[in-house]
Amino acid sequence: MTPVELGAVLAGTVVLASMLSVELGISVALLELALGVVVGNAFHLDAGTPWLVFIAQFASIVLTFLAGAEVDPDDFRERFGASVAIGPASFVGPFVVAWAVADGLLGWTLKASLIAGTALSTTSLAVVYAVLVETGLNRTRIGKLIMSACFVTDMATAVALSAIFITPNAWFPLFIVVSVAVIVALPKLAPWFFGRYGDRVIEPEIKLVFVCLFALMVLADRAQGHAVLPAFVLGLVMSRHYQRHRKEQERLRVVAFAFLTPFFFLRGGMNVSLGAVFANLGILALLVAAKMVPKISLVLPLARRAVPEHATFTTLLMSTGLTFGTISSLYGLNAGIIDRTQFSLLVTVVVVSAIVPTAIAQRWFSPSVEAEHAARDRPAPQVMAPPAPLPAGERA
Amino acid sequence: MSPYEFRNVLVPVDGSAGAEKALDCALSMCAALGARLTALAVEGRLPAYAASLGEVDEVKREKDAYFRGVLERADVLARERGVEATTDLVPGHAAEVIAHYASAHGHDLIVIGHRGHFLGDYLLGSTADRVAHHAHCPVMVVR
Repeated sequence: MTPVELGAVLAGTVVLASMLSVELGISVALLELALGVVVGNAFHLDAGTPWLVFIAQFASIVLTFLAGAEVDPDDFRERFGASVAIGPASFVGPFVVAWAVADGLLGWTLKASLIAGTALSTTSLAVVYAVLVETGLNRTRIGKLIMSACFVTDMATAVALSAIFITPNAWFPLFIVVSVAVIVALPKLAPWFFGRYGDRVIEPEIKLVFVCLFALMVLADRAQGHAVLPAFVLGLVMSRHYQRHRKEQERLRVVAFAFLTPFFFLRGGMNVSLGAVFANLGILALLVAAKMVPKISLVLPLARRAVPEHATFTTLLMSTGLTFGTISSLYGLNAGIIDRTQFSLLVTVVVVSAIVPTAIAQRWFSPSVEAEHAARDRPAPQVMAPPAPLPAGERA
Repeated sequence: MSPYEFRNVLVPVDGSAGAEKALDCALSMCAALGARLTALAVEGRLPAYAASLGEVDEVKREKDAYFRGVLERADVLARERGVEATTDLVPGHAAEVIAHYASAHGHDLIVIGHRGHFLGDYLLGSTADRVAHHAHCPVMVVR
């Protein structure tokens, strides 16, 4: 299959994923991942095609930047104290156990075991956020606590991915210096640059962000490391700017979701070998346990102290994972640290951990929004189940 | 007093042709009976298992804007027909929310379109079927 033919097949798959997402109410990313598995296994598509590898790698950094930029610093600060215990525990427990299981029981190499530890220690802020927004809990104390704890876990994952696998060479100091310089300079430069050149259809402000991310990727590559940590921190320091300029953030999302991230998730799915998954169901179960058991056993006691009435709900949401788990696994595959079977198993565990704990939490442990607001004596959220009807004519 | 003196009618709306017919029918009934009407829009679920906060935010914003438009249209039609009407926008699973809402707000009749926008209406049987099954009050299905 020629590169153009591959592009056409994947473009059609992306459209199908978008349609199914709208119709079924399931995240487009998860559907792209799933359809990537289908087309990759059915048509034996080459996931190593250079243009696809390039776009997927850049998309992973853009996704990481967006993950940082979408954090609300005020919400995070409000519950930082309570989350500072849950967040690290949620990372460290599964990281150590998954690493030990992969290294000791499965005989994976040290680096492959560390990839397993990193991929399986993540918590998905986005998966959690959808549950909280849908129920109106994102504006309650428990919602803010969980979001804050997820952020701490994400941060720990980014640190692990960047720090563990780096092999310092002559480029490493330059990578550090440029990373710090970009993180310090961009928020200061942004108001002027975006004011003078922004709000145009040619999108100079998005191009400025992209060139910063490319610079980080180039230097990380030269330093034999990963740009995920500086990209995440860069997004974080830009979050206040984007809070004031929502349109800019929306346009960046449009570019990312329309063209970049679909290829990242499709490629992730295309690399999953269903044969390898079905041939290793026992190992799959072991890896699921390596993620879930330490998450639950470490987070639950802490959650009982922080939010005793909703400890199980908090623990289950902290057990989810998707984007950073996929990014970590793909990094391991691209760098030749893990093979396709190991990748297939890790991504399957990541997807299972996105779906199962969320479904259980929503079905059996979802807190009452009204009670949460009453406890906090805060105004009710805009959308909750179900407020008194507005009289005709009083609606905006 | 007959239990079927309809004074408080609920009509779910989603902008589909079926819901438009149901709204038209409900407005005619309310005008004739002097009943109050509530037009209810159910937002449906946000994307489950999202990969970024942006995806959730964008879908939420799109749904809010779309359903506000649908409700405003219902409001305008009610005024034109001289019917006292309220509107509401609620998240969740359509059939569950409609049945629960009718019960919680004391509605004595639900007027609902035969088929709405949801793909599930075509694949799994209509929302109207499920509302009829769960509702505490009479349900009129409009074709």
